[in-house]
Amino acid sequence: MKGWEASERVLESGGFESRQRVLVEDAVVEASEAGARVLGVTYWQAVDRFTRGGVRASWNSSGGKLRLLGGATLLTFAPAELAFTDGVVSCRHEIRGGLLALRAGGSVTLAQNPAGEQHELSVTVEEYLPRLATRVGAPWWTGTLYAKGQSPFHVAVSRRYFDLLIRKRPA
Amino acid sequence: MKVTVFGATGVVGEALVPLLDEHEVTAVSRSPRADERTRWVVADAATGEGVTEALAGAEVVYYLVHSLGSRDFEEQDRVASETIASEAASAGVRQIVYLGGLGADDPDASPHLRSRRETGERLGSAGVPVTTLRAAMIVGKGSAAFETILGLVKRLPVMITPRWVSTPTQPIALDDVARYLAGVCGNEATFAEGFDVGGPEVMTYRQMIERIARLLGRKPMIVEVAVLTPYLSSLWLNLVTPVNASVARPLVEGLRNPTVAREERIRTLLPFGLTPFDEAARQALPAPG
Repeated sequence: MKGWEASERVLESGGFESRQRVLVEDAVVEASEAGARVLGVTYWQAVDRFTRGGVRASWNSSGGKLRLLGGATLLTFAPAELAFTDGVVSCRHEIRGGLLALRAGGSVTLAQNPAGEQHELSVTVEEYLPRLATRVGAPWWTGTLYAKGQSPFHVAVSRRYFDLLIRKRPA
Repeated sequence: MKVTVFGATGVVGEALVPLLDEHEVTAVSRSPRADERTRWVVADAATGEGVTEALAGAEVVYYLVHSLGSRDFEEQDRVASETIASEAASAGVRQIVYLGGLGADDPDASPHLRSRRETGERLGSAGVPVTTLRAAMIVGKGSAAFETILGLVKRLPVMITPRWVSTPTQPIALDDVARYLAGVCGNEATFAEGFDVGGPEVMTYRQMIERIARLLGRKPMIVEVAVLTPYLSSLWLNLVTPVNASVARPLVEGLRNPTVAREERIRTLLPFGLTPFDEAARQALPAPG
């Protein structure tokens, strides 16, 4: 995968920001509502495929739920906000809650941006407050589940997503 | 223009043929049919019988044939599409129009969707430009996928459903598909091009079931389970819906793939107002009583 980069940091607000990206020669989705929607559909498909159906998203008109084995709700999301302007195509989901969120807030954005002669595909989580991360004043080991579990899981899903998106590109 | 329609007796073919009335249409059927307004010929794409005669003088050929329901549908579709490709090239056909499936580009596509993609590729193998329209579920009377969902809704107050109920899809009204198919006829801008033809709304199968149920005045309870395999699902569908297991199984396998339009160029090329899902479903429902 070309141009793979992954980063994570804690913002001053206490929220987490995580970003993964790759570069592709040609755009993988069209700059349209359909193209933006495909980014979201493919991401949730990648979550499903990566976990072999153990974690999957279900949607209705008021939003989505990411569930573990059809039971526990890990995260809940607002409906997708689709955008396509100046070559930037994106699908953003606001995080509303769930077991893995300390409280509502933050978002997941799946995007395709022009990057010089190439295009950048990215997954960005912003201002997310993970329940499993270490909290201020708490012992370091309290964040182990996030650092060794949820965070690498998210990065691995992003890789799977980029791979799926690139392979899905129509000939 | 001289147009030949293979699969003219199918659900889509029957909706398409009346829209081609400005052309000289030859409708192809595997058994003799009589109709004052349309010229019918007997031919079989699978065996090649009568295909040369059906294509004589044709400029545009519609390929709306599939072998779903046969045990070896992939092989049959392969043979039939290769036959049409070579015969069309010999007949000097300028364009083949093919209705494929959305989601067929998915690397993990089901055998049914994979076969739809391969059929499109084989139709172009002899050099005639193919125009491929890719659609998800077609909402219309007689559409196997729609009838399957309808059968479930009508017969079951409680549904044990597999995981595919959460898969997103973009169903399109039968009339809208027919209109797009008719619109690309002889249109050189569409030669050797593929277009996604999605309906105006994206929904999961669960939402679709709920909306059809609402139209029928029902409120089924839907219980999603992770362990229902496509094989078990197809047997179950065979039991409770009018759709045969041999048709249901490949369809159900395909439901795990999202079938959502990746692009919407066709809407610029052929602009018209798409039929909302509820309206299309209402038209496809059997008359009350």
